[in-house]
Amino acid sequence: MEQSFRTPAQWYDGHNAIRHEGEAVWDGGGSLHLRSFSSEMDVALDDLEYRDHRGGELVYTSKEAPDFRLIVPEDLPPGLAAKLPGKQVYGGWIDKVGLGKASAAFAAVSLAAVALFLTAPEWLGPRVPESWERNLGQAMVGDLGNRLCHTPEGDAALAKLLDAVDLASMQVRAGVANMDMVNAVALPGGQVLLFDGLVQDAETPEELAGVLGHEVGHVRERHVMTALLRQFGLSILLSGANSGLGDTVFGLASMSYSRDAEREADEFARKRMEESNVSPLGAARFFERIGGDSEAEDNSLVGWVASHPAPRERADAFRKAAEGKTFSPVLTAQEFEALKSMCEDDPDVEEFDFLF
Amino acid sequence: MHYEDMQADSAFGFDGNWKDFAKIALPNLLLTIVTLGIYRFWATTRERQYLWSHTRFVDERLEWTGRGIELFVGFLLVALIIGIPFGLISLITNGLIFRGMIEWVGALTLFLFIATYYLTGLARFRALRYRLSRTRWRGIRGGSDDQGFKYGWSYIWKSFVGTMALYLLIPWSMTSLWNERWNKMSFGPYEFEAYADSGNIFARFLLFYLAPIILIVITAVLAVTGYGIGGAIGDEAQALGMELSFVIAMFVWFFVLGLIAAAFYAKFYREVVEKTLWHDLRFSFEASTMDWIKLYLGDFFIVVLTLGLGFVFLNYRHWKFFITHMEASGDILLDELTQSTAKTARHGEGLLDAFDIGAI
Repeated sequence: MEQSFRTPAQWYDGHNAIRHEGEAVWDGGGSLHLRSFSSEMDVALDDLEYRDHRGGELVYTSKEAPDFRLIVPEDLPPGLAAKLPGKQVYGGWIDKVGLGKASAAFAAVSLAAVALFLTAPEWLGPRVPESWERNLGQAMVGDLGNRLCHTPEGDAALAKLLDAVDLASMQVRAGVANMDMVNAVALPGGQVLLFDGLVQDAETPEELAGVLGHEVGHVRERHVMTALLRQFGLSILLSGANSGLGDTVFGLASMSYSRDAEREADEFARKRMEESNVSPLGAARFFERIGGDSEAEDNSLVGWVASHPAPRERADAFRKAAEGKTFSPVLTAQEFEALKSMCEDDPDVEEFDFLF
Repeated sequence: MHYEDMQADSAFGFDGNWKDFAKIALPNLLLTIVTLGIYRFWATTRERQYLWSHTRFVDERLEWTGRGIELFVGFLLVALIIGIPFGLISLITNGLIFRGMIEWVGALTLFLFIATYYLTGLARFRALRYRLSRTRWRGIRGGSDDQGFKYGWSYIWKSFVGTMALYLLIPWSMTSLWNERWNKMSFGPYEFEAYADSGNIFARFLLFYLAPIILIVITAVLAVTGYGIGGAIGDEAQALGMELSFVIAMFVWFFVLGLIAAAFYAKFYREVVEKTLWHDLRFSFEASTMDWIKLYLGDFFIVVLTLGLGFVFLNYRHWKFFITHMEASGDILLDELTQSTAKTARHGEGLLDAFDIGAI
């Protein structure tokens, strides 16, 4: 037997900590004969698995006995080296294709995943049954308890306003929230809120009709569900990189709409107002008035400027819709007044001073 | 065997070098980025394989046998078993806020807080168990047959008791939790035995109480000096002098607190390691306060000077610090040292990962 097929070796049997130091003898066949003063055994070469490369030594383990360790010098005779399992750096297929190609492949898959997660809500959102969204909204938001302003006259005026911008047989729920902020929101589950601050700010009922129409548009075009899904998708996607559970969960609370969604909601409002013969000039004036500064009109958490089309452009679109047409007032002066004094006149309304 | 430069006089040695480690850490970073973070489980595993296999205990290297997939499965399990209920509860909390049912929100928040605490304790226990069960020396591994569920409760109540009496019981809660954790662990056929005594670290802890008094005096002196010097120049300079003194005082405040924290932690670590036995083997940890300060200042400068990229070397630095300061003495009868019979968990540190608790 040639000297080159004999190599110093150490092994542990995995049952105790005794190190067996001796030599590994290879006869050119499929097994390695290990012998020392303390131990003598045969291991099949195809039973060995690569474990580690450390300080000039290679470490192998056995498929049969996972606790077994064989340690041999790294400069093995080439014939034997070829028979032993190959070195692994990254393990698996990354070693086969190389780091560069593997990274490119991972990057491609990741980009595809991001693209899917970002676009899926757009087509998935509108396909979620409205009843599911209502249940979800019920769980997340509920009916807001006693923080919506109610007076018989005010409710009637609001209902009339809603009739003008939501023609569906199953109307969204609209309310005036007792909160002094120029804002309006569409909540999950087909609920739309005008904040009292916005109602006070409005100079004509047509302004309110425009804003209300816009929010109803978000509900009817399923933007709310889309935004929820997008938030949810992002939180899942980010959970790979960011392991904090809290961030993932609370990410759900923030929602925003795309510019396209805002345009769609505006279009919805214009169409409904045209059908109801309500002047879009009020909405135009509203946008002109709030334009410029960054006061949020309907989107509390993401900056107005970033997510909304320019107010000027929106105002122009509303103004154009009014050209060559005559309209009838959407509310009487009394009804408008009832809406304005709704929160003041409601004796038991509660403060609404959180979240938005 | 290649142990020449591995601190032959010590029971522990480390012969890794940061250039070799970089060849693991930097591709890891790349792969972690392109997989949106999913590779990090395999990255951790590869780093540990390197660190363990360059660590010598007596006359043999350690071996890390954990696998990336275990950590990944652990993460997925936690995401499912804990993430979904937490998500639902937060959804419900959201709904309750809108409904104005504040008492219920309070109750749920308290429940979440306690559950988080419990799971944090459980996570620490299980991470230690996982690490021991995946560490091999001479083919032998460690572990624990305890699931850590009881430790989770201890973690809650001991941490709570620790905050009582103006946080004076914190040294007790820290050492007592260390003892409880390690007394449940074993390596090979032998259990660890831990009996760290909070009395030995209490004096250092009192520095935290002394510090504010010293600092208030310093602040007052600085303020008066600044006010005085400024006043001599003019009104505006007087205000500026005050402000400047305030900034300096703030800096001193955080610096001094950092020093005290390092002094306390150095003492704590020496105490707990020294009072942890494994059969006939004693351990000790030689790092002084200054060593800890150098470690953290080094971390700080490495990260800052590399614009953040250097964070990939922190694990390496901390492991090297840990190993080079560890000592052991006593006898090991290798014949008696048989394979551990403790159960091995099939999946990794998912919980620890979820709660973002760093390893050593």
